[in-house]
Amino acid sequence: MKPLDLVRKLRRDADLDAEVAARILEREGARFMTTIEAASRRELGERHVRQRIIPQLPYHDLAAARDFLERVFGFSERQSSRVIDRKTGELVHTAVEIHGAEVMIGGHGGHGAHSPKSGHSISGVLTVYVDDVDVHCARARAEGARIVAELEDKFWGDRVYEALDLEGHRWRFHQKLRDVPQEEWNYSGD
Amino acid sequence: MSPGSDADVIGRSLADPQAFGAIFARHAEAILRYAARRAGREAAEGLIGEVFRVAFERRKSYESSYPSARPWLYGIAANLLFKHRRAEARRLRANARLAAEQLASDSGRAPRASDAALLLPQVVDVIEALPDVERETLLLYAWEELPYEEIAAALSVPVGTVRSRLNRARARLRELDAREGGTMSRSSRRKPARRRS
Repeated sequence: MKPLDLVRKLRRDADLDAEVAARILEREGARFMTTIEAASRRELGERHVRQRIIPQLPYHDLAAARDFLERVFGFSERQSSRVIDRKTGELVHTAVEIHGAEVMIGGHGGHGAHSPKSGHSISGVLTVYVDDVDVHCARARAEGARIVAELEDKFWGDRVYEALDLEGHRWRFHQKLRDVPQEEWNYSGD
Repeated sequence: MSPGSDADVIGRSLADPQAFGAIFARHAEAILRYAARRAGREAAEGLIGEVFRVAFERRKSYESSYPSARPWLYGIAANLLFKHRRAEARRLRANARLAAEQLASDSGRAPRASDAALLLPQVVDVIEALPDVERETLLLYAWEELPYEEIAAALSVPVGTVRSRLNRARARLRELDAREGGTMSRSSRRKPARRRS
């Protein structure tokens, strides 16, 4: 008898007749389907949630705002987010993104949010990290953005400037220059 | 059932995860029986769902050039079976006793069968002493009768590695034979079987 034949002699099927096996497989199969249904919902969610927090800004003229954000600040529109009014053909919602991070833009007054253009004060400011903040600032200035805080190196290691967009929303553009440990932050209120 | 090869189904399941149900329907019984042979029915019952959950989680890395998912599933089951080494060892010894009894009762017709029967506990010792990867390779070959290519796919190693592992396992079994005075080829006295607890 060859060595492998001896090993084959040791092969025994467990007491799994067809009926028992079918019962186990039915039960485990149903459990498995429940598992993949749950995973399926989770994966769908993950595919569609690109960013867990997405700010939205209101504008009177959405199309002009989109063009401004693209031309002056270097965003690009996410065309898949675009919503057009079927009757008027007017753009009522879209999103712009930069380096994969997005901001939604919508109409003035929607969700109780108002554009600063109609005299409302702004209640928030958006911070955007770019690769070269000096280049970004020069482009924004050349394209007609109103710079409200000039480029400055900050105590936590960022280089920052601030600008208003066409309707007066305030944007801060940052670039990380240095890693400054928190205990060395030299803040003296200004 | 969804049509197409396993690779097609798995490819589809990337966008439509529920399509993966077809992989269970096609292969669960084979994998259940394999696990039961190795570690007994109870362990197999507990393990079968886990094999497919792991497969589902890893479906993105499935090698789509391989049309059948069965070797891949064997490989996942083999990994999970390491946790059931004790049950497997107990089962192997019980199998050796049963096989020995059967051989002994056949020995009237085949005198050499009784010698083989006496060797079985030591064959178990040899199998138990093999490194995990060699034992795995040996059993996929001798029990599941997978071809070399499928064993290689199951264990994610080149075919040459499967060959060399099987050669080493064979060599160890032959050493046993030599130590016992060639029982596999001719009749001889034998020492009492070593027991390990």
